[in-house]
Amino acid sequence: MLPEFFEFYNPTKVVYEDGVATDLKPELDIIGIKKYFIVSDQIINDLGLIKKVTDGLVEAGYEVTGQYTDVKQDARLNDVQTCTDQIKSSGAEGIISIGGGSVIDTAKASNILFSEGGDLVDDYSGAHTLTRPLKPHVVIPTTAGTGSEVTMVAVIYDEENKEKLAFVDKFLLPNLAVLDPQMTISLPPKMTAATGMDALTHAIEAYVGTQASPVSDSFAVGAIELIMKNLVNATKNGDDVEARGAMQIASTMAGISFSHSMVGCVHGMAHATGGLYRVPHGVANGIFLPYGMEYNFEEIKEKLTRLAPAMGEDASGLSDDEAAKLVIEAVRKLSRKLNELDALPLRLRDVGVPEDGLAAIAEGALNDGTSFYNPREMDEEELLPFIQKAY
Amino acid sequence: MGMFKTTEKLEEVLGGFFKLMADTPVIADKLLKSKLVIRFSYTDPDLVVVVDCSGEKIDVRPHDTDSKAIVEMSMSSDIAHRFWFGMVNLTKALTRKEMIAKGPIPKVLKLLPAIKPSYAMYPKYLDENGFEQYNITKAYKPPTA
Repeated sequence: MLPEFFEFYNPTKVVYEDGVATDLKPELDIIGIKKYFIVSDQIINDLGLIKKVTDGLVEAGYEVTGQYTDVKQDARLNDVQTCTDQIKSSGAEGIISIGGGSVIDTAKASNILFSEGGDLVDDYSGAHTLTRPLKPHVVIPTTAGTGSEVTMVAVIYDEENKEKLAFVDKFLLPNLAVLDPQMTISLPPKMTAATGMDALTHAIEAYVGTQASPVSDSFAVGAIELIMKNLVNATKNGDDVEARGAMQIASTMAGISFSHSMVGCVHGMAHATGGLYRVPHGVANGIFLPYGMEYNFEEIKEKLTRLAPAMGEDASGLSDDEAAKLVIEAVRKLSRKLNELDALPLRLRDVGVPEDGLAAIAEGALNDGTSFYNPREMDEEELLPFIQKAY
Repeated sequence: MGMFKTTEKLEEVLGGFFKLMADTPVIADKLLKSKLVIRFSYTDPDLVVVVDCSGEKIDVRPHDTDSKAIVEMSMSSDIAHRFWFGMVNLTKALTRKEMIAKGPIPKVLKLLPAIKPSYAMYPKYLDENGFEQYNITKAYKPPTA
């Protein structure tokens, strides 16, 4: 059945090649500016990844006007202001962000203030508040999970008010996403597994979400197939360039998919668990994913059956119920393999969540904006048993 | 030209409906829990209405352009009208900029289940208060005022 309405919009140019992050001249020449400011974090700096990129930029005749490497876990409002001040005073004409979701989101939010001025929260938080393109933003992801390099969203944590602020705008879509497996080679197994499960959750929730379309579905299915074939290898053998590359491409495809069709209750539970117990987002998504699929089972089972081939499962001859359960079991099998590599916890109890905190997770999930897009109308009492199972 | 010909008529219809929702516990109780202050800015015709859920009772304040709102929702009067029939896909409206939402979007989305009963209330309210011509669930008749 076709959706009543959908829009597909992705002006971000995506380039993939082993080593391409050190040779961006052809892409940057098209963008047409010469002075770039780097946004990243300390770990990426220590790994030497920033230097790899900036050496290539300088060699190609580009000027690096400065770098901000103080982005912390969860992009923070105060960091955005500091980062913006440094970008402005450096004389940059555009931004290159090198990092994971927090770095990319900090760069996106900084670009709003860099390009437009004003007050980030009062003037721009919300949906589609910008009226014209921002300054050029090039993204080089160093994880394979967030998908932020191709989404129109930035999430910024307001420490003072203890809330996450969402900025949703087409003009936040970066100009260029650079997928270079060399930038993820040094990602440790636990981060590889967690960010990979984040990408899988993006793809599956986007595929079964209320805003899904045939276009977003095609990206979701492509992402799922790549993840199922490559996440274990990327986790087990960090130097496997092919697996790393496949995971980066999958993460970007999943990002394109969920940027259009949104995510649901798995993200709602993960957001609540992250907020309450500081469980990393990808880990929480990995734990909750099969339980969220089971919570939505009746609403999504027919569509889930079609995922079997992408999950590497043969569902021929099975009923819808059986085939959909096979797909959920395939997610569990993947999680177990990652767990056997000591890369992914399987239960909430293993990540410091107290048993008496489960009800608060259910409440938080209901209050999360993602609940609006979940295929099954969410109910706290009905959701709680699934969280208890995940415990 | 939109469905409402004057600001006065828009205020009478939508302002009256907001006040009805404020007096309807099944909706008001959940809105009050949100503590949100929402400013609706309508165009064609123009009208500003603040719905203040920060106190013990919901306060509906037409023409309040001064209060600090947590959420600002801008849209045409026709989109607002259709919204209260449950005929507007919020995601689509935001994507196409038929609505612009400033502020914490998740908090706005969270309110949608709370206001669901209003979709059935709105046509009934129009019929019972002499605004039948605005009830677009019936065969459309041009408004007389």
